[in-house]
Amino acid sequence: MDALVKAQNLSYKINDKKLFQGISFELLKGKALHIQGENGSGKTTLLRMVCGLTKPTKGDLITQTDKEVCFIGHKNAIKQYLNVEDNLVLMNLSNHKDLQKYLSVFDLDKSLDINIANLSFGQQKKIALLRLFLNSSDLLILDEPSVGLDTNSQEILVNFLKKELANGKGIIYSSHIFLDFDSDRLGI
Amino acid sequence: MFQVNRAYPYIFYLSLITYLLSIFWGLFLTPEDFVQGNSYRIIYLHVPASFISQSLYLAMAIASAVYLIWKVKLSVYLVRSIAPIGAVTTFIALISGSIWGIPTWGTWWVWDARIVSTLILFIMYLGLISLHDSFNNNEKADKFLSILVLVGSVNIPIIKMSVEWWSTLHQPASITLSEKPAIDLVMLYPLFGSIIGFTGLITCLVILSSKLQIIKREKNKSWVKDYV
Amino acid sequence: MEIIKFEFLKLLKKSRGWLGPILVFILIMVAYPLTVEVSDVELSQSFFSILWIAALLVVMLATEDIFLEDFSDGTLEQYAILQKNLSLIVGSKIFVYWLVIGVPISMLGAIFCVGTTSESAFGYQILPVLLVSTYIFMNVFSFGNALSLTKGSVLGTLVTLPLLLPLLIILGKVVVAINFDLNYSGFLFLLLGILSIIIMIIPMIISYIIRAHLE
Repeated sequence: MDALVKAQNLSYKINDKKLFQGISFELLKGKALHIQGENGSGKTTLLRMVCGLTKPTKGDLITQTDKEVCFIGHKNAIKQYLNVEDNLVLMNLSNHKDLQKYLSVFDLDKSLDINIANLSFGQQKKIALLRLFLNSSDLLILDEPSVGLDTNSQEILVNFLKKELANGKGIIYSSHIFLDFDSDRLGI
Repeated sequence: MFQVNRAYPYIFYLSLITYLLSIFWGLFLTPEDFVQGNSYRIIYLHVPASFISQSLYLAMAIASAVYLIWKVKLSVYLVRSIAPIGAVTTFIALISGSIWGIPTWGTWWVWDARIVSTLILFIMYLGLISLHDSFNNNEKADKFLSILVLVGSVNIPIIKMSVEWWSTLHQPASITLSEKPAIDLVMLYPLFGSIIGFTGLITCLVILSSKLQIIKREKNKSWVKDYV
Repeated sequence: MEIIKFEFLKLLKKSRGWLGPILVFILIMVAYPLTVEVSDVELSQSFFSILWIAALLVVMLATEDIFLEDFSDGTLEQYAILQKNLSLIVGSKIFVYWLVIGVPISMLGAIFCVGTTSESAFGYQILPVLLVSTYIFMNVFSFGNALSLTKGSVLGTLVTLPLLLPLLIILGKVVVAINFDLNYSGFLFLLLGILSIIIMIIPMIISYIIRAHLE
């Protein structure tokens, strides 16, 4: 089976200071990879590298996906001054067939006309996560996806990720909160 | 680098001697100007400085292109070390021009073609320095610096063109070098000498400053520790 | 087309983004006659320089956070991951900003021009020049603000000012051309030429800069 992501001997330097080096891994379809490390060890940088935003200083990184990567980062990429509905339009999700389902799962269907600025941190995170729940990618890259979520929503997230793995998608994620599903570990 | 080190004293002393000789020649051995009297003698500082200030920008533009295309780190160190020197020479050109302006035009500032373009050049140098220094990530700073140098260099011919149209309409009476009666040969030789000497001295300054830049940026490398 | 629609939605819902600059423009144009001894001749003499400076300042104000907001809330990184053509996004963003802010300013400028110089022909002639020059301003300031993305607008201004001075000189010449009925269309074509080069190149450079910022 083809690997979705193949990384060999990745290293990254900022101003000649090493952030990490010698990272190699392989992600197959239907597998998850949990990147573990202390604060400042370069987890976010590594994830952004897989997305293609950051180039490794050394090493090879090959991603083989048919579609774009789905990336959930620290930044929510939603507009504070717009309401939920407008944000969904900007996220290109307003016509998605499963949208209503997830809105009601997350209890957001009644706050469509509320400005994002008036929503709580967790609710904003849920809206950002709609990108993940309605994705059409082969490869999901999640940087601390469960920050701010209540236990109920964390469970929904974990169940969703399990389902995606069963569908043959690949997941690379970092999380300090334990997410209960099968995943390989990579320490940096 | 070590080759440059070996050549450096020759360049330095040769150009120093050239510059001092031409200045001596220019200041004491040439006759007074018919129109301007003795005041024209500032030309031996003013003309080399303004010549250098523009050539340095050209050098920066070439080095920036080299950096962006071939990713040669040395060339962006060169750009960064030239920028302050360019700013200083441009400043010298502006100030000496102003001082020269008082006896010749009766005012220290005229909104004339060349003066304005020199002023723009000065602001550009300052912008480049502050842009580079405002980023913590050196690689980003290098990229942005060289982009700005290149975009700015596109601007230079435009400055020249537009300013010249503007000045022909606005201030036909002001004196520019090109409109002045041809300089006498007696004055021309020391002028050339001073340009060559000044260029050599500035080259030495650039060499010194880029050495500093290289050591600063590569300070974690082992060869720098050996060298220092 | 969708990108342009999105940018419209974002800009129009953020009223301080577009209404603010337009009001500042009106403020400058109204405040200026109050500060001089009113005699019509003097007003129309310096009117155009105030007009250019006002347009310049207002565009500077308007483009201050043209990329900053999308950068800091993560929209740009999503764009960079999802759609490969960042320069198209940048180009349409600048276009929308020009349409929402530059075009009204140009029209207001033409109206003020007719009002101050009391010659309607000036208004017709100044309008296309204003339209083109505000679009050029938009592009150049966007470039400066992209360079100094997280470093504040002072740096962006310092960086772009030298690029705009020659343009201001050309605009000064255009006014002379209008006043004395000389070669006006020549200058308009020159500005259009500059604009067409700029809208080809600047979005590409900006998208390169933004990718470097995202790294």
